[in-house]
Amino acid sequence: MASFFIIGASYDDGLGSYAPHPIKLEIPPGWPKPPTNIYANNKLTEEGFLLGRKLFYDGRLSKDGEVSCASCHQQFAAFATFDHDLSHGVHNGFSTRNAPGLFNLAWMTEMHWDGGINHIEIQPLSPITAKNEMGETLDSVLYKIKKDTAYKRMFKAAFGDATINSQRMLKAIAQFTGTLISSNSKYDKVKNGEAVFTPFEEKGYLVFKAKCASCHQEPLFTDNSFRNNGLALNRFADIGRQKITQLSSDSLKFKVPSLRNAQITFPYMHDGSIYSIPQVIDHYRTGIITDQSTLDPLLKNRIPLTNLEKNQLVYFIYTLTDSSFTKNQRFTSGNTGFVTNPGFDKH
Amino acid sequence: LNRDILYKRIISTIGVLLCCIPALLLSESFSSGIPDHLPQKSILKIGFIHTANGKAISLRDSVYKNYFGEQYSVNKLKYYVSNIRLAGKNMGGYYLMNAASENNDFQLSLQPGNYKSLEFLLGVDSLRNCSGAQTGALDPMNDMFWTWNSGYVMFKLEGNSPVSTSDLNRIEHHVGGYKGSNNVATKIRFDFTDDQLLELKAGSTTEILIEANLDHYWHGNSDIKISELPVCTTAGDQAKKIAANFQNIFSIKNIRILP
Repeated sequence: MASFFIIGASYDDGLGSYAPHPIKLEIPPGWPKPPTNIYANNKLTEEGFLLGRKLFYDGRLSKDGEVSCASCHQQFAAFATFDHDLSHGVHNGFSTRNAPGLFNLAWMTEMHWDGGINHIEIQPLSPITAKNEMGETLDSVLYKIKKDTAYKRMFKAAFGDATINSQRMLKAIAQFTGTLISSNSKYDKVKNGEAVFTPFEEKGYLVFKAKCASCHQEPLFTDNSFRNNGLALNRFADIGRQKITQLSSDSLKFKVPSLRNAQITFPYMHDGSIYSIPQVIDHYRTGIITDQSTLDPLLKNRIPLTNLEKNQLVYFIYTLTDSSFTKNQRFTSGNTGFVTNPGFDKH
Repeated sequence: LNRDILYKRIISTIGVLLCCIPALLLSESFSSGIPDHLPQKSILKIGFIHTANGKAISLRDSVYKNYFGEQYSVNKLKYYVSNIRLAGKNMGGYYLMNAASENNDFQLSLQPGNYKSLEFLLGVDSLRNCSGAQTGALDPMNDMFWTWNSGYVMFKLEGNSPVSTSDLNRIEHHVGGYKGSNNVATKIRFDFTDDQLLELKAGSTTEILIEANLDHYWHGNSDIKISELPVCTTAGDQAKKIAANFQNIFSIKNIRILP
């Protein structure tokens, strides 16, 4: 039998070989298991990851060739759009929501601020086809990338043959986005006994646990629920979760974002309407519009905090910044070759 | 598939077959004598035709009238057929029917016999709606997938009507929704009696032709007036109202054993 395999393997289509290197989704110590296995039908391999990364950074996924996933999801901003309330789409268009940071997505079962996306694999369909974002059609994206021999090689390396289709493209992107794990902030180092909080940060942590942790649950710093946090209906008349569920009880509810990397993902809220962390805290202290029927019950008395507590909280939130994540070369576009000693290669 | 993989598949198939020989020798069929030939399967070819006002639907250039006397034309008519069940067995597969294409049929390989019922799901089951990126009939390239609120459009009817109040007198019914009470995927079932048996003969093909008659789309379990509901592109109450008529659209037009 072995000799037959050797004969089979000698056939060469000039697009390289298929010898995938399995990788694993690393669960940081002390973290819960992801609620679903996002890779149950998408075998995670180094080759699939590299293909996904190339696609993530490729402007050909957009109508004008200028907008890639990474245009609005910048690594130095923990894959949010740095310093932008809204993001720029093709033809000088604007998004109507703030681009969230991309990390720890394997723990998220519903994507987007309104949770309208039910699986990580299909999320890219939304920005790729939205007229104010990447403005492209799937046909056209595939037409463009099929012309690129580098892609043929990479699809073969990842999936066994050079067939390029939407399913493979989406699965590869999910291999990149789903393995973006941020778990090495100062907070994490403290938890792992590798660092200590300053007394001020420590106080901030206590404030956080008393006043914020019911929604921004550790260790992900979100419970991934949808809540109305007392903002006004914005100029886009964005009713949030209600648009997905058609339930008036979901009016103005949006996903609780993670506080991880919050320091570098400003501005905040679903529409980027609050610029700084102190201003966000002020919103919870005094800004919440309390006469909304769907306001989260936990916020009906707003969140009382002294000025000192507010400052302590800010410094605690800064400990959630993970610079090893924002600087991880593995997630950077320039590398087109095989990354040696990859961070997630634990097999 | 490239040749490399094909070779490997063939070789491994041979390997599996070789491994099976001892099992076959030990099996009951051996003790009772190996049949001269393996039992022949039969083919069931399921085809769909689309009609309105007693005529085959002609896209764009014909005008039809619904139950309420509203005139309309059809530009697009597409829907999913899945979870086909015969004798209680789910045959799997997802098929996209499209009035714009010449052939709207598919074939299943089955044991010969008389079948008492045929069932299919008009639409895509909930599980497949949230199982990530799909290919084939379920490829999002087929323009039957909502990108902003995940889920398949189960049934799509687009056209025009002078009574439509929407832009360009459009009719745009994208009927979908898979969650809980908003699920519009509809079981369609036909029971066969002695008058009209679904008979599958060994080695031959039986063709069953199912007619989708749009006359029943507008009226039946609910009233769908174009003047009141020209556009429906989200899951929810309106989609459910439209889907309430799905069951009545389909009927068996003909069953025959192909020569």
